[in-house]
Amino acid sequence: MDTCDKCGKPQIIINRKQSGQMLCQDCFIKFIQEKVLKDIRRQKLIKKGDKVLVALSGGKDSVMVLHILNSLRNRRIIDLVAVTIDEGISGYREDGVRIAAQNAEALGIKHRIISFKECVGRTLDEIMVDSDDRNACTYCGVFRRWILNQVAREEGATKIATGHNLDDETQSILMNYLEGNIHNLTRIGVQSESMYEGFTVKIKPLREIPEKEIATYVLATDLPVHLAGCPYAGDSFRAKIGTFLKEISKEHPTIMYSTLRGFDKIKPVIKEKFSQKGSMDICQECGEPSAGKICKACSFRLSWNHE
Amino acid sequence: MQVTVIIGEDEKKLDVNEGKTVKNLLQMLEIPVETVVVKKNQSIIIEEEPVEDGDIIEVIKVIYGG
Repeated sequence: MDTCDKCGKPQIIINRKQSGQMLCQDCFIKFIQEKVLKDIRRQKLIKKGDKVLVALSGGKDSVMVLHILNSLRNRRIIDLVAVTIDEGISGYREDGVRIAAQNAEALGIKHRIISFKECVGRTLDEIMVDSDDRNACTYCGVFRRWILNQVAREEGATKIATGHNLDDETQSILMNYLEGNIHNLTRIGVQSESMYEGFTVKIKPLREIPEKEIATYVLATDLPVHLAGCPYAGDSFRAKIGTFLKEISKEHPTIMYSTLRGFDKIKPVIKEKFSQKGSMDICQECGEPSAGKICKACSFRLSWNHE
Repeated sequence: MQVTVIIGEDEKKLDVNEGKTVKNLLQMLEIPVETVVVKKNQSIIIEEEPVEDGDIIEVIKVIYGG
């Protein structure tokens, strides 16, 4: 019978093929918590006195971020606020919003729920009824970033923490390589590096944790999480790349780490050569930072007024 | 031997040959092992865990595309 590599207990809950480590439930939970906190320290993602806004969807990744960062809040190192964006996806989002609220309440963390309907004027479902040329992820990503950035300023947050995991990050790297989006590659990293005023720094504390380990962690710790797939994700390019990476990881369990490490090494060179500088403006509609006269979120909103 | 398999709200009894593992069971059910966490008799287990007569196996889908 297999036993835990750390304590020798017989009941194993994970076989970490990338390291050959087998761990029992207690040792796995401790290992993950320590790993995330160590990554935060090593990469200087958070400093004492930060107010961190957690983008809390209620899914496994953001719930885990909230709970681990709460250990820093309990030690009075940081302050936390949780923000859930209700995109308006009927039959899917309601459970996530409820579970997000449940987690924030259990920890006594201030929680705000902000809907696309109130901020943008339409739910994502309504947007998609009239849209045939773009996929839902485009609108969702643009509006979510737009809303989070505004709320972060309202709340006086110094960082925005998201639940991006190792799978998400390696998917982004590979997608942008394959599509030749070199400019997008310059923006991938453990924390955003925008020099422009008005942008709150975004951090990814789970960037080195595989998605399956996050799922195992939330189940092992019995955290309430929303385990469901977004109905709009469908057969996206990201989903195809994700499936490919998971498939190839079976034979090459360290492949996602090596993709990430290799990318982090060449990023400074790509950034120096391809980063677009000095073109940031203020959106004439909403006052948010923008690459042009009108930001992407407002250009979508204005296009609806013309319909 | 027979095991009970719970997937979401669906529960069924399955006949399984002796000496099979959770991984074999998932293959039988055509469920990709990398997208699920499995509990045996309410405890999380690894895919190499043997399946025994009377086990209750809960397959929890945790990874979705997109």
